[in-house]
Amino acid sequence: MSLRGEAAIIGIGELPTQRSTPGRSMLGLLGDAARIAIKDAHIRKEDVDGIVTEGGATYPASVAEYLGIRDVRFGTGSSMMGASGATGIAIASMAVMNGLANNVLVLMGVARNPALGGGGEGFGGPGGEFEMPYGTAAGANTGYAMIYKKHMDQYGTTQEQLAHVASNQRFNALENENSAFKGQAISHQDVLDSRYVNYPLRLLECVMPCGGAAAAIVTTAERAKASLTNPVYVLGVGTALDDFGAYPKPEFTTSPVARSAPVAYAMSGYTPRDIQFAEFYDCYTILEAMCLEDAGIAPKGEIGPFFAATDTTYKGTFPINTDGGQLSSGQPGLAGGFRHVIEGARQIMGKAGVRQVARKDLCLVNG
Amino acid sequence: MTSEYKKPLPRPTINPEVSQPFWEGTKKHELWLQYCLNHNGHFFYPREVCPVCLAPQERLVWQQVPAKGRVHSYTTVYQPALPAFAEEAPFIHALIELDAGARIVGNVVGLSREEVEGNALELNQPVEAVFEDVTDEWTLVKWQRVDG
Repeated sequence: MSLRGEAAIIGIGELPTQRSTPGRSMLGLLGDAARIAIKDAHIRKEDVDGIVTEGGATYPASVAEYLGIRDVRFGTGSSMMGASGATGIAIASMAVMNGLANNVLVLMGVARNPALGGGGEGFGGPGGEFEMPYGTAAGANTGYAMIYKKHMDQYGTTQEQLAHVASNQRFNALENENSAFKGQAISHQDVLDSRYVNYPLRLLECVMPCGGAAAAIVTTAERAKASLTNPVYVLGVGTALDDFGAYPKPEFTTSPVARSAPVAYAMSGYTPRDIQFAEFYDCYTILEAMCLEDAGIAPKGEIGPFFAATDTTYKGTFPINTDGGQLSSGQPGLAGGFRHVIEGARQIMGKAGVRQVARKDLCLVNG
Repeated sequence: MTSEYKKPLPRPTINPEVSQPFWEGTKKHELWLQYCLNHNGHFFYPREVCPVCLAPQERLVWQQVPAKGRVHSYTTVYQPALPAFAEEAPFIHALIELDAGARIVGNVVGLSREEVEGNALELNQPVEAVFEDVTDEWTLVKWQRVDG
């Protein structure tokens, strides 16, 4: 038994990403996203009986209280860092297919006050003791830059190749109303000309922190069929978790996707060659590239040439991050990873407007 | 001396008692690592259980190891997260693969500005420790190139 085809996303909600969200709280933004998703699913708030949140700063109970959702039968957190949203969909699918709830609201997001700054404090790991004294770059830049450098050395990957990741995605974002970078075109050369934040990562290869929120409604396949929506069925799920820091990892240039993707493929019955488009976590060009090859979209070590030779815009032969991804929309906390799920669902629902991909039936999402 | 040092000092957050021998070692300009008697290997950072075989604390001992290794990877930091590092940027923040068989983060020092900006540091470059007494209380471990 697996969850293949047992559950579906029937509604999505997403707020525009913003560099700052003055006057807004995290719960307030989550509420906005929830409202949009509930409306999109053609259900009422009273129909929601399950909630999946990030689970730390936002407990399901506090979200339910804020939103006035009274009859919550199933509530839990999904704490898989950037994959929390995608994993939340898996958790919601398991809940509905096993009868714990009928309509589960999955929601993630964050408010942002730029005055708080940020970066480098880590998440309760050893960073404050063993990394900070040596000067880190902001956020997760330091570790990913070292992975980038290793990938270049190991596989001959070049910065010219990976710059396509950023410029193609920016093309995808140009007409996205929900992107903080809407209308702000950048060329491949612009990426290469942008300054180093920390070599080999250039500014335009790094995600911009911002505020925003996203939400989705998951229900059973049976209910989805009877709904007034165009359901997006969950066909296969695989999850894997990795060390938080980079340095304990023996396989420095391999992501946990190498372990999660085979599970999802096996469950779904599809292979990498069947995938029509992909929505992949992209806090940095290198991370997205590495995860794509670990998912078999290109052979290991050959993702650089893949990007140099493939049109990955929504008009292209293999569209990737069709809404611009986080690199071109910004990262609203854990909603950043969740937005990949939302855009994949939006494409399959046929609601992507000008950026609708031609082949829209089978999407691979990585959170 | 303490008052002059503006950059962050090691802030043991997980368990100061467990990592104390490491920092006592650096004060003596020595590199000490935990060694697991169960699976017979070193590891870093300091822990209460072995991250390889989950051996309990009783099976973990401290050993002095050669302060030598190779550059596994690095990043050149142009825009540090903290202003205190701004004046020395760009600098090299590296991951060192110790000969003893564990990885540790630190700076690679002793490169000219031209070498730093020209990405002259090669991966797998052999390095040895340089102990820097940044305050009376704390000594950091940095790294410099040596001939292979």
